[in-house]
Amino acid sequence: MKPEECNEIGMNCTEAFSTEFWTAISPELVMVIGLVALFIIPNLGNSKFRIPLTKLKIPWFLGGKRFAITGSPAIPGMLATATIFATLGMMAIDIIDGSVKTTTITSGDSILFKIDAFSRFFEILFLVAVLLASMATLDRIPAHTFKGKKSMDEMYDNRRQADLYILLLTTAIGMCLVALAQDLFVLFVGLELASLSTYILVAFHKESKSGAESGVKYFIVGSVASGIGLYGLSLMYLEFGTLQLSALRDAWSGTSTLGIIALGLVLVGFGFKVSAAPFHFAAPDAYAGANSPVAGVLATASKAMGMIGLIRVLVVITLPDSSGTLSEESAIWLYAIATLSVITMTWGNIAALGSTNPKRMLAYSSVAHAGYMLAALSAVGAWRWGEIDAPVDYAQAIVAAVLFHLFVLVAFKLGAFLVLGMLEMEGGASRLSALSGLARRDPLIGTAMFIFMLALAGVPPLAGFMSKFLVIAGIVSTSVGTVWVDGSVSFSDLHWVWWLALAMFLNSAISVFYYLRIGVVMFLDIPEEGRRKPLPYGASIRMAIWICLVATVILGLSSDTLIDMCYRAAESLDWD
Amino acid sequence: MSGTQALDIKNKEFMLVGGLLLIVAALMAFFPYMSSGDSEVDWISLPLVGFPIIVSCILLAFASQESRSRKEVIAVPIRLFTLAASLIPLAISTSLFFDWLIAVDWNLGYNEYALEKEYIWIETIGVSWHVGMDGLSFPMVWLTTFLIPVTIVTTWNEKDGATYHPLLLMMGGALIGVFVALDLFLFYVFWELTLIPMFFLILKWGGKDRRYASQKFFIYTFAASVIMLLGLITLYFLQPEGSGPRYGTVTNRTFDMRVLFTNALAANEGDGVFLGKDMQNILFAMLMLGFLVKLPAVPFHTWLPDAHVQAPTGGSMLLAGVMLKMGAYGMLRLPVALFPDALIFYQDIIMAIGLISLVWGAIVCLGQTNLKRMVAYSSVSHMGIILLGIASMQPIGYAAALFMMFAHGIISPMLFAVCGAFKHHYHSMEIGAMRGMAKWSPYLAVYMMFAWMASLGLPLLAGFVAELMLMIAYWHTYGWWILLPGFVLAITAAYYLWSMQRTIFEGGDEGQPPESLNGETPPDITTSENIGMIILAFFTILFGIFPFIALDMMGQWTHELFLTVFEGGGI
Repeated sequence: MKPEECNEIGMNCTEAFSTEFWTAISPELVMVIGLVALFIIPNLGNSKFRIPLTKLKIPWFLGGKRFAITGSPAIPGMLATATIFATLGMMAIDIIDGSVKTTTITSGDSILFKIDAFSRFFEILFLVAVLLASMATLDRIPAHTFKGKKSMDEMYDNRRQADLYILLLTTAIGMCLVALAQDLFVLFVGLELASLSTYILVAFHKESKSGAESGVKYFIVGSVASGIGLYGLSLMYLEFGTLQLSALRDAWSGTSTLGIIALGLVLVGFGFKVSAAPFHFAAPDAYAGANSPVAGVLATASKAMGMIGLIRVLVVITLPDSSGTLSEESAIWLYAIATLSVITMTWGNIAALGSTNPKRMLAYSSVAHAGYMLAALSAVGAWRWGEIDAPVDYAQAIVAAVLFHLFVLVAFKLGAFLVLGMLEMEGGASRLSALSGLARRDPLIGTAMFIFMLALAGVPPLAGFMSKFLVIAGIVSTSVGTVWVDGSVSFSDLHWVWWLALAMFLNSAISVFYYLRIGVVMFLDIPEEGRRKPLPYGASIRMAIWICLVATVILGLSSDTLIDMCYRAAESLDWD
Repeated sequence: MSGTQALDIKNKEFMLVGGLLLIVAALMAFFPYMSSGDSEVDWISLPLVGFPIIVSCILLAFASQESRSRKEVIAVPIRLFTLAASLIPLAISTSLFFDWLIAVDWNLGYNEYALEKEYIWIETIGVSWHVGMDGLSFPMVWLTTFLIPVTIVTTWNEKDGATYHPLLLMMGGALIGVFVALDLFLFYVFWELTLIPMFFLILKWGGKDRRYASQKFFIYTFAASVIMLLGLITLYFLQPEGSGPRYGTVTNRTFDMRVLFTNALAANEGDGVFLGKDMQNILFAMLMLGFLVKLPAVPFHTWLPDAHVQAPTGGSMLLAGVMLKMGAYGMLRLPVALFPDALIFYQDIIMAIGLISLVWGAIVCLGQTNLKRMVAYSSVSHMGIILLGIASMQPIGYAAALFMMFAHGIISPMLFAVCGAFKHHYHSMEIGAMRGMAKWSPYLAVYMMFAWMASLGLPLLAGFVAELMLMIAYWHTYGWWILLPGFVLAITAAYYLWSMQRTIFEGGDEGQPPESLNGETPPDITTSENIGMIILAFFTILFGIFPFIALDMMGQWTHELFLTVFEGGGI
């Protein structure tokens, strides 16, 4: 589609690499510039380049003896944090007042990216998660520095510092690509960029033996899942001849066997990312092995990235369409996703009951949360049951609820991981007993952790309750639909997705067991030997935890702005 | 020298804590005038609900930053300020009743509320901060405001008072929130919020098995209330769409209870059935499940004895005094008033559950050797009476249920205060551990006898009024089945008298002090316990002799309920 034609049908289109293109993607560009800066700045030194055959030396600055200021070990972290913060600021300005300028970026006839409320919402989510993680790692990485009085050079491993932040930035860029992509292949490229970075980030936890092991595990399982997803994409291309979202949407037919097989295979790839059962086995190992802020990013941003894939494929492409032919086949995935959601949430919660490693427990709880979101997606699938002209608000409200859930998950799931990160700073958080007496040692951090646990369990009035409430309200609203006639309704008139809401509630009742256990251990038990003193200081990680805590409470008490934002994001998907 | 030093520290703490509280109080005093457009003062939101919760949060945050040794020092000012703060809601609720502050019209029709206030909270889904009181909720609100200071006084010497007493205050604010909420969402938020302070009270000040008991308490009630919440959400979406400030901008529906009652009333009128019979029955069952667990009724009662036995005295007093009533309150407020047809459908089942609770609780009491466990089971038994009142479908039965909630709310804290004093001074909870208490500690013996008598329904004490009214209502509906509850009341008398005989009397001239004291002379109760119990005893007598003080308001509410909902609904 040429920009001229595109503009004619009322879309704001830009050819890639044109002038408008650079303005449109300026926030993402900031990240790329920051990435380049991260390569260069720590390596600035007094090296000189001698022009061959002369004695003339030109200062070259890359290498040699590093300058004290730019070579400081604190620089990469600050640079990365500042970069992400700047990007976030540029994006937040136009989403908060709801006036995201929708821009479509094309290349030749195909649409590559689309900047709209939906993609901006997810970009902000990713950046907030990565920002918090990068803030938290400012203090965290040199775990042993707080004790000794070694020289700066000895304490910091400069190169390693830079690597971590480079990887965090590439993760963020990859995730943003996924959010923007309008072509399944572009989406896949972004997904892989983010995934490969996270594989290394998981293995980065060198203080523990399990770091490298879990990194490899995560990489192997992840690449198999990606491979399967890619195979699914190739089958989809074979069947429909395109990977463009808009074209696939028109071409999709639920009766094509090859199409359904392709859909199934693609879902495997995304299912791994959201850690839905039965593709979740690598998740607990990866989270337990990774250092906590990275595990937090995996559990929130990475999951949201997989969710984008699922929403794009399930809601945008294959949703029972408006052509008037509502058939069982067109919503073929409804039964599969509904079954998987119940299995996922139950499996996650029951496995979490038995795990004594807090990080594994949080990993399993994140599996359970994936189940809740899959349940919401199946309700979207059931949105048009019985009638073709059901108001689109129902479906939009559910998608908005999923977005809300993903967003607030950053506040309390990441926050919980950051608290574990503080415990890692003083040596390990892989046993439940590491948390014992936390509320006595550091009342504020202990209380924050307890509030995160309550939010995860869904206790009002915290953000976790609001998100669960909205998801369940969405499911119930679909199941009730418009059967309400003349004030009388029979229970059997409700759609069966109502039972998914019940399953969610029963599961959150089960989950209270293990969330409360953390609280009991923190408030009742006596601290372990060698852990009697208050926690190490760590100003920036504490600040990150505070941000999470305040967000958890505030987004629960006054959620209107965020709900509106989610709703606008959901509206900007292609619904008609 | 050291004495003056200690005094200095205390003075400093007093000033610090007092200054903080003054700022809060000043903000609170002005806030109602600033927030609402109309000139009427909001007597509920901040003074009764917000104030206790915010003050306790400040005190807790303040206390948590202090070291262990300093906590002992600051416990005194914090305790005093907590007591002072808890007296403010009591003063307000009392003066609202007597029209001292403003003239409140308590002569309300059905679905009319006094001191109603509404602020939009979550616009998108139609949630508003909507509060108000009527004849059903006001007695419970007053009871809560009354019990908080009494509990604080009774458990004045509890260890770690810097955090203990603020938690009691927070509990009070959350409980009042449940009773005044006129929005389903708000109701649920406070319903769950009450769990958190109670969880900590049991966890940090509880007995040996507190870890198990606190978690069981939390999970049990949480699991039941999520089912209730699903019922509420389904109910929400089964409402007709509307528009206006109360309605959600996304969902076009509202959580407002007033609108809900109006809809239900209109749909139930005559032969109409709100939502249809099938849906009514299912929603009724879902809501009742949440309330029955809280009440608690057999077979959902197993969390209660554990929670009570492990909880500290103050926790038990509030748990039995007000928290159990949340279940009964919720039943009368929501399922009974919304689904009268389903109530008829389930009438016999509710009666059976109530009867089983009554009988089972009483029989289990006979076999208990632990004093507190016995009292806990007696609560199960008494809560069964409320269910019988609801099942009787007689106005007098409903009034009896309401009065039972109120009377039990005064008597059961006294029972637990006696148990707590027993445990505190004799380090044992066994009924047989001490004999001849009357000789060693006459005060405790007197209070024990008084509380036990009040609980078994001695005439002229508050419990008797409720039981008598209930028996009349039950006779009207179920005829000779009355012999069963009548017999159970006899069992109640039996276990109370028997336990009294074993503790207060016997033991010969010298009595038999408990072994856990290792030969020391058993002490009598402290002054603070004495004050707390005498206040409770006074009100037990007051409401026994002049029940109409509270009963008038309850009778009015019952009358309106029967006239509008049941008769108007063709039942």
